[in-house]
Amino acid sequence: MFVLASCQENIRIVPQDLHKEQLQAITDEIEKTYFDKVIPEVGLVITLYDISSIEGGEVYAGDGAPRFSVSFRLVVFRPFVGEVLVGKLLDSDASGLKVSLGFFDDIHVPEHLLQEPSVFDDTEGLWVWKYNDNDMFMDKEEEVRFKVSSVKFPPLPPENDGTVKVFSPMEITGDINADGLGLVSWWS
Amino acid sequence: MKVLDASAGLLTNFEVLEVLKERGTRTEADESGVPGPATPSEQKVHDYLVHSPAGTQTRKSIQTFTEAIKELELLKAEKLQMVNLRPSIPVEVHLVVEDCDERLTTDAVEALIATVDETLPPAPEAAGPTEDEAT
Repeated sequence: MFVLASCQENIRIVPQDLHKEQLQAITDEIEKTYFDKVIPEVGLVITLYDISSIEGGEVYAGDGAPRFSVSFRLVVFRPFVGEVLVGKLLDSDASGLKVSLGFFDDIHVPEHLLQEPSVFDDTEGLWVWKYNDNDMFMDKEEEVRFKVSSVKFPPLPPENDGTVKVFSPMEITGDINADGLGLVSWWS
Repeated sequence: MKVLDASAGLLTNFEVLEVLKERGTRTEADESGVPGPATPSEQKVHDYLVHSPAGTQTRKSIQTFTEAIKELELLKAEKLQMVNLRPSIPVEVHLVVEDCDERLTTDAVEALIATVDETLPPAPEAAGPTEDEAT
């Protein structure tokens, strides 16, 4: 679910932050720049793990801010394909389920990866797994166990002309078509 | 920014929770409403993790567990998921362990579940998040 990513960055500390401890000023800068952001092919940055080195501190002519070369490690959320995760069912429509982990919402379980056979109940607005003769409803807010089938980092659309729906920088596709997957309550 | 290594190591949910606590995220005990210095996004991850099996684990319990399942020769990613998910029924073990039927006997799966139960503390009550919303 979570991995470490080691990074190197030239960080500029603005003059008004120079009263801070150096380590604190640099930590704040990393926090501001990267936390809760998706780095393509790396994942969603959760927090700072550690800082291994801070070098430099040069002040260039015409600039009152020192620059440091900083090596650090970030904790990122990037599940691997095949990983089993537990989230909460956020919403359903004819295309499938939307699942949230609370801190990450762009998880979709498409219709073809639901338990077979499942049908969408239009009036209730939710999916139902027809298990033998039982109707297993996939109610909102229920805990869902799914297997990651893909993690994608779509490229930023070149120009947003207003027709593009909300852009997600990282998209996870989930699969619940196996024993043990789907609503957690079905299996306990 | 240069990303030198995007996969510099896997972390268990417990380890991430430890980092977040160290970063100053409020802990369960500190429900007085005093916000810590952590950012809102860290807070959300913290909330997810405290209500997962990681919420009750300790470094010691994970060590005891991994030591106890050594001979099963599970892959690193499989062990990681065992710790994160704390399987309590055979079907959960089958989900996590690739080609489980070939690698583990039915008895081994049962024994693994027993080991999980003995060494990893029970997960916090799943009702946690809904309780929060109610208050």
